[in-house]
Amino acid sequence: MSAIPSGQIAWEAQEVAPARPSRLARASRQLARNKLVLVGSTIALLFILIGLFAPLLAPYDYEKQNLLAPLKPPLTAGHLLGTDSVGRDTLSRLVYGIRISLLVGFGVTLVSLVVGTAFGLLAGYYRGWVDAVISGLVEFTWGFPLILIAVVLVGALGPGLTGAVLAIGLINWAGFARIVRGEVLSLREREFVQAAQALGVGDLEIMLRHLLPNVLAPALVMGSYYVALAIIVEAGLSFIGLGAQPPLPSLGTMIAEGRNYLLKSHWMATIPGLAIVLLVLGLNLLGDGLRDVLDPRLRDE
Amino acid sequence: MLAYLARRGGRMLLILLLSSIAIFYSLRFAPGDPVGVVLNPLALKEVRDAYRERLGLNQPIYLQYVVYISNMARGNLGVSLVNGTPMLELLAKYGTNSLILGLAAVLVSYLIGIPLGVIAAAKRNTWIDQLATGVGILGMGIPNFWLALLLVYLFSFQLKLLPSAGCCSLQHLIMPTIVLAAEGTAVTMRMMRSSMLEHLRQDFVRTLRAAGLPEWQVVGVHVFRNALIPVISLAGLRLGWLIGYTLIVETVFNWPGVGYLLVDSVLRRDYPVAQFFSLLLVTVVVLANWLADVMYGLVDPRIRAA
Repeated sequence: MSAIPSGQIAWEAQEVAPARPSRLARASRQLARNKLVLVGSTIALLFILIGLFAPLLAPYDYEKQNLLAPLKPPLTAGHLLGTDSVGRDTLSRLVYGIRISLLVGFGVTLVSLVVGTAFGLLAGYYRGWVDAVISGLVEFTWGFPLILIAVVLVGALGPGLTGAVLAIGLINWAGFARIVRGEVLSLREREFVQAAQALGVGDLEIMLRHLLPNVLAPALVMGSYYVALAIIVEAGLSFIGLGAQPPLPSLGTMIAEGRNYLLKSHWMATIPGLAIVLLVLGLNLLGDGLRDVLDPRLRDE
Repeated sequence: MLAYLARRGGRMLLILLLSSIAIFYSLRFAPGDPVGVVLNPLALKEVRDAYRERLGLNQPIYLQYVVYISNMARGNLGVSLVNGTPMLELLAKYGTNSLILGLAAVLVSYLIGIPLGVIAAAKRNTWIDQLATGVGILGMGIPNFWLALLLVYLFSFQLKLLPSAGCCSLQHLIMPTIVLAAEGTAVTMRMMRSSMLEHLRQDFVRTLRAAGLPEWQVVGVHVFRNALIPVISLAGLRLGWLIGYTLIVETVFNWPGVGYLLVDSVLRRDYPVAQFFSLLLVTVVVLANWLADVMYGLVDPRIRAA
């Protein structure tokens, strides 16, 4: 029996093993990802600034009608983005619309984040019947279409932003609760939690000081996706007439008003729509980036 | 196994009961008077009071709820306040339209989403993958009502190929289906892609390759079949979102389906219709979620133990 030189085996083994991407390839891929994040965050930040400074940016009062100058196209003198059917300046309405969308999106998501995280912490930490009740609630709301609930709530509360906001808030908390609960379930077995418990640290303090910071990262990742979702849903509801009511310039309402003038003056609908698409895109990219940075496990490798 | 089904089933019934109460109460508390929908606003007070009596609106709410449920159990589902059409007739007429649209959209999302996902996974990180992922992101980001208007502008106004709204020919069906399927296609594609990627990492793939199977067979048949399972079993959960989007798409295109009817009845304060169809849609969603749960439990025994 001739001895097989180990070098030969190693060489042959290398032939069969799949080729690993070079380190340069992996690094550049990571950079490309981060470029997306940069773009996304810039877009999102831009929109946030627009929303914040809307009163300063809007050249006209968004409610002010000017029946002598209806349906002006963009780049007309005095109206950068044109006017709508009753002469209201599109640019002014756009920046205020962005403001409303952002307010609703972030506001609702903040509330759902707080409520959902609280419930997730409680359910994951205490387990037992607390967990059973909360998980039951979460599963109940998990599969529910936002829009359906919103329509029913608007049926109850009357048209207006209140119904939309309530509906979105009532559903979205479940997503946060789910994620936070999962994280807490895995974290509570770790040594630092058991150490704290052994030292006699109170439950509330454990949850707030030790668990919460670790849990916040994935919750924030979800948060940016949820803001985007809230914005789309609010726009959709306003579009079908169940959300913000005229003259409030929600982006959805603007698109609905522009619908009747699609043939000749399509910018009334196109411009707010583009705004929504860009904003949502920015937020989604931001979410992807946050996910890559904060929790590489979730990355699609 | 049976215990699992029974547990989930009991839970589902509880949810349905709670939902029906919630829907009933919330609509009853709504501002605006159902009597005002039917009668002339200038009608005499006595007439309005008599009508309220007749509609049973003077009784305490829980009694109204009981009456409503017992009526439903007996098959008396009520009539529309607007034109007196009985519920079942409305359901038959509008329900079939919604079914047609829904099925078309589901078909499109799977027929396009699944192959795209497979291709994107197989040709990972090439331009095909980037394109597919980009389309996916776009599909999830574009508000569907805006996409609807874009398509209407393009195909109805500029190219004059398709009608912009209404029912019921094939041409009328095309654009609503595309819009409704957009989000579903994007999600299906992304799920299929990540499922494929996950399964491509498994050992049996290496074994099959070593055994000499051609690559397209390894990926296209064996990995595909395994990767398909989670995508399909999540179909039930997607139904809820589909119903939600149907509300908007039908309203935009004036497609006379259940979604359109629901939105219209809420706007018009036609309470019996709003209530019945809300309840119906919620029931469908709950049932679909339950079915998805059960299917997932069937496919993956680990879930059942939970």
